[in-house]
Amino acid sequence: MAGLSEAAMAVLDPLVGATAASTCVRGTALSLGKTAEDLGPDDLAALEANIKRLLGPVAPESVIDDALRQIEGRL
Amino acid sequence: MSETTSVIQARASRSPVTIPAIVLVVLSALYVPLRATMESPTVSDALYNGAYLYGTALQIMLALVIVAVAITIGMKQSVGRQWLLLGLGVTMYAIGDICWTLFDLFLEIDPYPSIADAFYVAEYAFFLAALLLAIRAYSGLVETKRPLIAGVLVAAVGFGVVYAVLLQPYILSASLEELGGTWGKIVSILYPVGDVVLMLAPAVALALVVRQLGAGRLARPWWVVVAGALVFALIDSFFVYAEWAGTGLTWWMDIGYLTANLLFAIAALVAKDAYRIT
Repeated sequence: MAGLSEAAMAVLDPLVGATAASTCVRGTALSLGKTAEDLGPDDLAALEANIKRLLGPVAPESVIDDALRQIEGRL
Repeated sequence: MSETTSVIQARASRSPVTIPAIVLVVLSALYVPLRATMESPTVSDALYNGAYLYGTALQIMLALVIVAVAITIGMKQSVGRQWLLLGLGVTMYAIGDICWTLFDLFLEIDPYPSIADAFYVAEYAFFLAALLLAIRAYSGLVETKRPLIAGVLVAAVGFGVVYAVLLQPYILSASLEELGGTWGKIVSILYPVGDVVLMLAPAVALALVVRQLGAGRLARPWWVVVAGALVFALIDSFFVYAEWAGTGLTWWMDIGYLTANLLFAIAALVAKDAYRIT
């Protein structure tokens, strides 16, 4: 079982590259006052909201929903 | 693993847009010998007219492909609107080609300058809008300010070069009669300026944005758009310069415009593939 940040990076990297994937993960952690490594399953909702906000303008909803399902599946 | 299983897996993993992309390339490649034939002094009227209409039909088809992809993505989605704007840009070019064909082939009127030019230059406006929307869309994910500044610098330097090489020595000093009236003067200025300010500069900015996405699959379609914009800006700049400097226009310049719009259509198909659920 992967940690939340590892799972998110593994799914988002092939989609938007490591830099943008890291922006999604670190941005979420920062908004919660945590580091990326400290993100846990309880932070999934916040991460999903952040991914939807950042990826919404660059990818169709179906792609974002699929990415979120994959992240959940890796936890 | 058996050979049959490998073939089945290879077919399953092949993108559903591969065949449409190959069809577009083959249909466009067929135009090359046809366009070359049009230059022959012994070409029959039927073959000349057929080749002419085939080239115009190709532009319409390329525009329809992009608009269809945009509609498939959905207009409620920002990314769908980005592709629609690009598709409308190529549609403007196709409408320009329809007008040009009508004047040149059927009405036997000199098509330059005419309403066709209004549609041709409209492609720049839609292209700029599409790329600015795409760049803004990535502003939350990657650095976009520096790419935009780089784009503005390219536009400023490019405008300076166009002014020094083309506008000042040829277009601005030419009489209205030479330019085909006021409308002729306006479009004569708009084409070279549009190539560098509205096509090349935003393409450079977009390239600097998408390079930050590395190997991310959402970057792929935009790289193809950048390639199309570079071909379009380069070929049109050559065309305008060759026309004014009297270095001679060649038929392969027509192939350049087709290649650029083909790349935009391929980009839309690559986008459809990139947005596929894996």
